[in-house]
Amino acid sequence: MKKVGLGLIGLGYVGKIHFQHSRKLDNASLVAVSDLSKKALKAARNAGVKKTFTNYEQLLKDSDIDAVIIALPTHLHLECARKAAEAKKDIFLEKPVARNVTEAQEIVSCAQRNSVKLMIGYPLRFNRKFSEIKEKIKSGTLGDVKIAHATYISAGPFFQRTESYSPIPVPEWWFKKEYTGGGALIDIGSHMINLLRWYFGEVKDIRSLLGYRFNMDLEDSAICLAKFESGTAAVISVGWFSQKLFLEINLHGSVNNITVGRSRENRLLTAVQMLTTGTSKFFQSHFAGLQYFVDCLIHDLPPSPSGEDGVRDLEAISMAYENQIHLD
Amino acid sequence: MQKDFKEFIKMYLMANAHARDITMSLVSFTKIRGNTANSIKQAIIESLDLIKYPFKKETKNVIIKPNMCYYWDYSTGHTTDPKFVAALIDTIREKISPNTDISIVESDASAMKCKYAFKMLGYEKLSKEYDVKLVNLSEDICTKVDVKAGSQLFRLMVPQTIQKADLKINVPKIKYMTEKIKITCALKNIFGCNPYPRKFKYHPRLAEAIVAINKALKFNLCLIDGNIVSGVHPVRLGLVMASKDPVAIDVAAAKIAGVNPSTIDYIQLAKKEGLGNMFFIPKGESLEYFGARYPRKSLQDKVISKAFSLAVQVGLGKRLGLE
Repeated sequence: MKKVGLGLIGLGYVGKIHFQHSRKLDNASLVAVSDLSKKALKAARNAGVKKTFTNYEQLLKDSDIDAVIIALPTHLHLECARKAAEAKKDIFLEKPVARNVTEAQEIVSCAQRNSVKLMIGYPLRFNRKFSEIKEKIKSGTLGDVKIAHATYISAGPFFQRTESYSPIPVPEWWFKKEYTGGGALIDIGSHMINLLRWYFGEVKDIRSLLGYRFNMDLEDSAICLAKFESGTAAVISVGWFSQKLFLEINLHGSVNNITVGRSRENRLLTAVQMLTTGTSKFFQSHFAGLQYFVDCLIHDLPPSPSGEDGVRDLEAISMAYENQIHLD
Repeated sequence: MQKDFKEFIKMYLMANAHARDITMSLVSFTKIRGNTANSIKQAIIESLDLIKYPFKKETKNVIIKPNMCYYWDYSTGHTTDPKFVAALIDTIREKISPNTDISIVESDASAMKCKYAFKMLGYEKLSKEYDVKLVNLSEDICTKVDVKAGSQLFRLMVPQTIQKADLKINVPKIKYMTEKIKITCALKNIFGCNPYPRKFKYHPRLAEAIVAINKALKFNLCLIDGNIVSGVHPVRLGLVMASKDPVAIDVAAAKIAGVNPSTIDYIQLAKKEGLGNMFFIPKGESLEYFGARYPRKSLQDKVISKAFSLAVQVGLGKRLGLE
């Protein structure tokens, strides 16, 4: 069977994770990478990637590439995805799809017009614990889920705060709303909204209380109150302000309740996992998501989360930004 | 019994310091009683009174160098609390003049840009409320100076804002590190006045670089914001320390953090280069009181952190997911 030829566009934080993973995929090979950083490209060449480009348009011309992974800053998604679609490359696009609903819709239209597959990178959907919840809801084990709490608190782009690690520079685009489309709500709130939409259907109504601890134009925390099609009411709390990662889904049904969480593993365990499998448990769901994308390409199946999913997420986020609650 | 013996030795050393020709500096230890702006200000005033700090009425330009660490705010114990600096500004304006020109200085670093740090860490707000200037030393006009420290010669850039100041106040944090440097406090905070952003280039000869920049800039007063300190985790220690001697105050800070100051290279070199004294006369609360409350690292923490640092150094860091 011919392997799927992959091109990776962007070797930033998440791009580097995809770089490691894409070289370990079944039925796929990493043909080329593109990044502005010559240092990053050199590292890719040293790792065995033969074709490297500073301009991703060169990469898109390569006939050995069937699909691209786009791991660029959010403001560059539209242009890159449009060019990739026009070059007839299937697309794995990092979340959030774009800075706003209009751009996201344009990306989806481009993919449809050019008959290419489009999948959005939401790794939590490929985490066993979170997918088991979906099964429990479907099978009725929990009864009717009336209340959901989804919490994702982290350091956001200001990660690596622990004492053993040296701080790494935060790319400047993270500080500018015109590049990101928003703060913690669009960045990590999109994970939580996507997951809850998967569980409970579309968002009917949503309000938000935004926080600005770091005095930026971007919110560094958000608490959203949302109502879903299923009748479930959810409190979605996200934040970029904490050195300690906390990610948890907590569902209260008429029959039972369930709490599922995910935290950074202890460092010794991570070290063992990195040495043995080349990826930590934390990033295994990123790998599973990418493997699923490749499988969809091989078997000509529509991938999920789809581009439309990404648009719906941004619509909910946009509604949350519009419906702000202000407390003294 | 052991405590009595220690006290006796301390008293003996102090009493005989003159006879043994040991120069000693004053270092004050003051407890912040409460967590209000006023209680911080009272502790600052008390700590300065204990070392008999002589503010001069003719002082026109004051610079304050807080410790800003990445985008980690005061609650982490890594960054000087803007509330502490606000209390210091109030004190300066009371002691000198309400019209004293005050600037808060910091420079860009490898992973931190002042334009964001000032805003995110609360200094932009402070600057507006207290009418003080924020100066990014990396954008300041500088003069080149050659400074020798130990066997190393450095060509350093001295920012004009620092050169022109009548009073230079260093407001560091006490931070325990597992790396070779062990603690960072007053002397290390001045390293942050080096306008060159890519400071990691100095890391292979860090002790010499720290001492060189301290020799070039010579701050007048050190005032430690020990309200929240970072050790194995942040703790509200409620401490203010003051001294005119950066070496003596670092020695005292090392003792609080449970590190033997004679094992810290840059403190030893600073002493040799005449920046201050290893011996000090404590004033105010006892050092032991704060030492007992400092969140020191357990042996297990130290071993794990050392192992991870070593892994990064030998190039295993990437494979272990540390880099």
